[in-house]
Amino acid sequence: MRLLSYMGQWKSAAKEVLDRTAIVAKFLCLLHVTNNYLCSPTLVYGPSMLPTLNLTGDVVLAEHVSHRIGKVGTGDVVLVRSPVDPRRILTKRVVGMEGDTVSFYVDPMYSQTTVVPKGHVWIQGDNTYASSDSRHFGSVPYGLIQGKVFFRESNELRITRF
Amino acid sequence: MVGLVGRLWNLQYKSIVKEASGKALAVAKFFCVLHVTNTYLCTFALAYGPNMVLTFNLTGDMFLAERLSIKFGKVGPGDIVLLRYPESPRKVMVKCLLGLESHSVTYVVDPMKSDRRDTVVVPKGHVWVEGDNIYNSRDSRQFGPVPYGLLEGKVFCKIWPPKEFGSLMKSGMKDPDL
Repeated sequence: MRLLSYMGQWKSAAKEVLDRTAIVAKFLCLLHVTNNYLCSPTLVYGPSMLPTLNLTGDVVLAEHVSHRIGKVGTGDVVLVRSPVDPRRILTKRVVGMEGDTVSFYVDPMYSQTTVVPKGHVWIQGDNTYASSDSRHFGSVPYGLIQGKVFFRESNELRITRF
Repeated sequence: MVGLVGRLWNLQYKSIVKEASGKALAVAKFFCVLHVTNTYLCTFALAYGPNMVLTFNLTGDMFLAERLSIKFGKVGPGDIVLLRYPESPRKVMVKCLLGLESHSVTYVVDPMKSDRRDTVVVPKGHVWVEGDNIYNSRDSRQFGPVPYGLLEGKVFCKIWPPKEFGSLMKSGMKDPDL
């Protein structure tokens, strides 16, 4: 008799756990979809985009719609998957689109000019002295762009718009 | 009288809307599950064209490609992979993976004109892909090694035409250890 009542309690507890888990799962799904297809906050750090972004880390808002509809252009700061290490995502500025002629300094004396091939972009960090970018690994296929940065939340109370 | 009719109508309308939104939600949930499976587990695609003639037909074959191997780095030479065109980011192609980073790949430069072979070392973070039909295929021999980040899936099973249904684990093209 007591066993039956325990089982009854178990069942209702299990059902409640399942319901709660379902709600959490649905929320995570929504968060995931928003992060991947709409807009996501990202922490970026490193010296390659000084003075635009901080060395120790900035939270930026990146949207994931523009690159799918081809609205990424010169001057945009983008998140791009590294062609050298596919697990890393870099933050760089697009300096040239396909067909553009790009001049860059290989060393302080010697400058080189290349044409960006079809389907590729040329990315450079704002801090050219401490950035590993297209000057080192060449033009990057457009398909590696993950998102466009449009908003930065800084530690001071000022919010910078790109 | 009018009030009663009005109230009855409201009641019916509400229940219809409730049922419609319930069904719409169920359909939306189904599409979500389908989308998640498509993006993170397994997708199917149609391959056509002459460049993989030994494995796929000219007129089009449907196959299944799974996405987990790419994310965990479990692809190797000899696998048939789905990847984005480096030159047109919206197009996807099917090729055979011949070399991972730091592999040395020997390829025939232009099989229509001569038998000249060239050897290249695949740089870090890139892969070398070629079509089965080297006479008529646009691949790494033309646009160079492709960044690993452009890989979309690994083909593991052909599902159409039904008489060619079956697993496609390694390509029967040529010795990948060349």
